[in-house]
Amino acid sequence: MAVLALAGCASDPAPNEQFRLTEQALEQAKAVGATADEVPEMKLAEGKFNRAKGNMADQSFKNARMRAEQAELDARLAEAKVLTQKSEEQVNVLNTRIVRLRKQLGDAQ
Amino acid sequence: MSLKSNVIGALILAGCASLYGCAGQHSEAALQQAGADFQKVKEDSNVLRIAPKDVIRAGESLARADRLSTYWGSGSDVVHYAYLSQRYSEIAREHTTQALNEERAAKLELERQRLQLALRESKLLSVQQQGKWLEEQIVALATTQTDRGLVMTLGDVLFDTGEAELKNSANRVVLKIVQFLQLNPKRVVRIEGYTDSTGGKQENLKLSRDRAQAVADVLMDLGIEDKRIQVEGYGDEYPVDANASERGRAQNRRVEIVFSDEKGQLGAAR
Repeated sequence: MAVLALAGCASDPAPNEQFRLTEQALEQAKAVGATADEVPEMKLAEGKFNRAKGNMADQSFKNARMRAEQAELDARLAEAKVLTQKSEEQVNVLNTRIVRLRKQLGDAQ
Repeated sequence: MSLKSNVIGALILAGCASLYGCAGQHSEAALQQAGADFQKVKEDSNVLRIAPKDVIRAGESLARADRLSTYWGSGSDVVHYAYLSQRYSEIAREHTTQALNEERAAKLELERQRLQLALRESKLLSVQQQGKWLEEQIVALATTQTDRGLVMTLGDVLFDTGEAELKNSANRVVLKIVQFLQLNPKRVVRIEGYTDSTGGKQENLKLSRDRAQAVADVLMDLGIEDKRIQVEGYGDEYPVDANASERGRAQNRRVEIVFSDEKGQLGAAR
């Protein structure tokens, strides 16, 4: 197992492209308002990406790639959750307005 | 990724785990969980319609985890790809919920606009009815519908003798005039002051003008634009009764408000 792991390390190139993707996903999630404090997946993403950077520095490229891949999807999920929540809020706001309008219309008639 | 290959994968995994313990219990559980999640999104027609790419990626990652689980010493890789697959499934679900919410919001927005329009129309109708009602009130208050147009007379009880300041008892009728003018934005008014024949001509002219101006000031204070208001003082001219009696003089001390028609056409001043 140790041999295989070593072999894996040796054959894995530096995951530069994956790092770029992960950074992009984190940026996008932040742009829609996902924060580590409010969205658990964002906290996961940031934690994993930090560890991935440490792995990169240690030339442990396979670990770096796997953590960065997970961080990317954690961030994408964080972004999606924030957007879903926003869409729910929008539906709620509209429902409230419609109820108010209906009430006013009922009063007016 | 079909159900069949899923089952085969699971069988292989189970066999592998029992024979060699290669994938381990941890990775086996991860694989099963990912498989179950994928199965759920794959069977959801909304998810397939809205987030097909995420579903495909969830399937690809799962297939990879499945394949790796047959290799010896690949436990952490299996867990990794199972994790990615689960994430893709979750992302697919979130994207779907979001899109469904947006579709719903679009429908609700149309409904909201429809209701808003209906409310505006009903309010407008009620304002028109109110305007009509007020107009009837104003017409009722106006004693003379002469060739000068609609004329309302404010009697001298609304002023103290010799004073130009409008008393509080005039508030009610003044407010009605303001409301009427607000509901009829094209109408304009001419406010004309008159006195009886007691006192000097110049004083009477000034007093009549001051009293008319006092009424105009109140209207302006209550929001009527000054350009809609003309002010005239006629002193003791144009009496409506003989100045010989006290009753007649009281009739002559007055302020008249001449309303234009709906288009703002005001009869000529005297």
